[in-house]
Amino acid sequence: MVNQILVNNLSKTYRVPERKPGLAASLKSLVRRTYRDVAAVRDISFAVEAGEMIGFIGPNGAGKTTTLKMLAGLLYPTSGEARVLGFTPWERRADYLRRISMVLGNKSQMLWEIPPLDTFRVLGEIYRVPPAEFERTLDELVELLEMQDLLTRPVRNLSLGERMKCELVAGLLYRPEVLFLDEPTLGLDVSMQGRLRRFLAEYNRRSGVMVILTSHYMADVVALCPRVILIHHGCLLYDGELSGLAERLAPFKLIRVALGNAQVRDGLDLPSGAEIIERENGRLTLRVARSKAPSITAYLLNALPVADLSVEDPPIEAVLDQIYEEGDA
Amino acid sequence: MNFRGGWALIKSTWLSWMQHRSFFFLLAFLWMISPLIYLFVWSTAAGDKTVEGLTRGEFVAYYLVLILVNQLTYSQTNWTVGDLIRDGRMNVLLLRPLSPLYDALSAEVASKVVYMAFAIPMAAILALVLRPELHVTPRGGLAFVPALALAGALRFFWGYWLALLAFWATRADALLALQDSLVFLLAGQVAPIALLPDLMQKAATVLPFRYMIGFPVEVLTGQLDGVELGIGFAFQAGWLGITLALFVAMWRTGLEHYSAVGG
Amino acid sequence: MRYLRLVRHFAEASAQNELAHRANFWISFLHSLLRPVVAVGTGVLGVVVLFGQVETIRGWDLPATLTLLGVYLTINALRGLFIGPSLDALTGMDGEVWTGRFDFTLLRPIDVQFLASFRHWRPFALVDLALGLGVLGMAVIELGQSLTLARLATFLLALGAGMTILYALLLAFAGLVFWSPGFLFTWIFDGVFQMARYPVGIYPGWLRLVLTWVIPVGMMTTVPAQALSGDLPAGMLIGGMILAMTLFIGASALFRFGLRRYASASS
Repeated sequence: MVNQILVNNLSKTYRVPERKPGLAASLKSLVRRTYRDVAAVRDISFAVEAGEMIGFIGPNGAGKTTTLKMLAGLLYPTSGEARVLGFTPWERRADYLRRISMVLGNKSQMLWEIPPLDTFRVLGEIYRVPPAEFERTLDELVELLEMQDLLTRPVRNLSLGERMKCELVAGLLYRPEVLFLDEPTLGLDVSMQGRLRRFLAEYNRRSGVMVILTSHYMADVVALCPRVILIHHGCLLYDGELSGLAERLAPFKLIRVALGNAQVRDGLDLPSGAEIIERENGRLTLRVARSKAPSITAYLLNALPVADLSVEDPPIEAVLDQIYEEGDA
Repeated sequence: MNFRGGWALIKSTWLSWMQHRSFFFLLAFLWMISPLIYLFVWSTAAGDKTVEGLTRGEFVAYYLVLILVNQLTYSQTNWTVGDLIRDGRMNVLLLRPLSPLYDALSAEVASKVVYMAFAIPMAAILALVLRPELHVTPRGGLAFVPALALAGALRFFWGYWLALLAFWATRADALLALQDSLVFLLAGQVAPIALLPDLMQKAATVLPFRYMIGFPVEVLTGQLDGVELGIGFAFQAGWLGITLALFVAMWRTGLEHYSAVGG
Repeated sequence: MRYLRLVRHFAEASAQNELAHRANFWISFLHSLLRPVVAVGTGVLGVVVLFGQVETIRGWDLPATLTLLGVYLTINALRGLFIGPSLDALTGMDGEVWTGRFDFTLLRPIDVQFLASFRHWRPFALVDLALGLGVLGMAVIELGQSLTLARLATFLLALGAGMTILYALLLAFAGLVFWSPGFLFTWIFDGVFQMARYPVGIYPGWLRLVLTWVIPVGMMTTVPAQALSGDLPAGMLIGGMILAMTLFIGASALFRFGLRRYASASS
């Protein structure tokens, strides 16, 4: 029971003061404020076991970061409950805070002018890490991240990727049991993103730390999270394996056809359920309902001069794009 | 002289300053505190009698006028110009058809409108509570406007040429601290010039600081006779001339240095 | 005990941060010496100018007023040593609450009020402190009064109460940032605090009341100065200490209330 995250019907609605434009409205607002309710998180429920690495995905403003902050104890929920490691996060017990960690991709917790090592030492004091263990953990992290030469240079002289490495060390040097990562690879170049992903995977394997990761980059989620939770407009739309996501939410497949005779273009008589989404130089991409894929494939092979044909799952990004678009509609 | 462009610039600057008016009201409030303290110090010291011929009410009047004059002549060029040079944004300004002078001027005009929106009502309220005695002679009233205008120009260009030091030294903070101190002591803030001890009074008469703030206040509150008025104007105009020369010299050489260093 | 150790580490880390920042150390060092000297010199000259014209003002003469200035400079220096920089990091321009970095502070397994009050230290404020104590010392000698142990004790108690009130007021003004993140409330305190340079008695009655009991800057300087010169009215010390405790409790409550609000209202 203790090694788990349990979330039950968690909701967060906050009241935003309404500010209508115009002079009359601003005068009125001096006297009486009107508010609008914004539901950031609606009735989310899920559970995480020890050692799991899960990804929160969803468009901007979906409620991912808000959920994460509630689990870290930074925000009070409007309703619902959550237990992390047996604690209620927003009670903010010192024992709880010592066992969790949060790394924010766009904000730094390092002291700016001095080498990272000094910030690490202060954090070690704050989190009561015994000196021997501190050295050991630091060495391990530094080796995994390949950052020996960074330790003694002032933080302001480091590149974004190097600073991110420091953030990760700062977040892990007291060996937390839960790690919340909010957009950790934001703004990093591709090779650095890859390096950080490899580090996270390896560290999770070694230490068994529970990781909840939010990211815009599908590559992060695909590389690291066997399980994803899709949040959109505050609601949990999907909780399960990434591969299942495409199946569940986008029950279609893509058929790519290369035509032998480029003249056959317009006036293609396609059966219902097939939609042409791309057309280029005699190559067609069709979107068809999953169940109809075999029959449409057969039809195409019969009716058209097909040089090449393949049937694929849609890329995750396309699935998500469509969900985001539909959701906004 | 591009007046249309300048006016447009002033208007747009003013609108953006009004957006942040709570911040600027706070600044205006802070600048009011020091003169206010000395208002209380001297009016209490005068009590029922006088100090150097000034009654309690006259001290109150002196300082209330000082608050307004200080606000009207205050120069922000160290931030507006100095920061521009240090950030490297001066390059952008130098490319525009309006000289950077217009930019600084429009910032000054715009900001003063916002500050005065706070200062004038506050001064009015304080006047109601503290009962100043203001005796304005015709000569004083007439002389006040040119004295004020010259004071504003002097303070602006003085601040500007100091700000241009940023072409050479990235941090002239020590100089600025010294400048603030001299303004405080010798420009009529800590006490009207006439009340300063001998040595300081001589320094105040000769140095430019009094002519940036204290002089117009003394003119309006009738502390100066005809001769003193004339001498004061002479000093004021003289210092304005010197400051303008300094400004032009700093601008020319500073610009060369700036471009040479690749600013 | 542990909290004391933490304070030591905070002080060391901030000192390093502060010293590393100085691109050209000696110029900055000189500048950090020059500014306080100019400030103190100007303050002293201001008082001297006043007493060049009058002998006493509402019962305060030159040595007594200089004593008060010394107290003011000392308290201001102590504020600049850690209370000011720490709370400023939270609520000043580019403060943590405004930029969102406050989340990190909230994540620490340490009492947030403690962290927010002791985190950043400015070692150069020690220069201001030395100068302030210097002025205070010289003024006390000028006073020519015998400094009995009783008087010294009273002075230290009054100073302690004054510092507590200073902390409480700054904390309260800083706490207001949770309701209105963009506004620099602590600057308001800076303005009112300037009025403590002169004895509270010189201000008109209504203002004197405000400065003694509502925003009690008078308590911070006038009362300790009076303790040194022996003119302290009987009940004032007790009144001051009670006020200090009340304000401390109130300000802490306001701050924690603000924290709850932050955790409920932010996104």
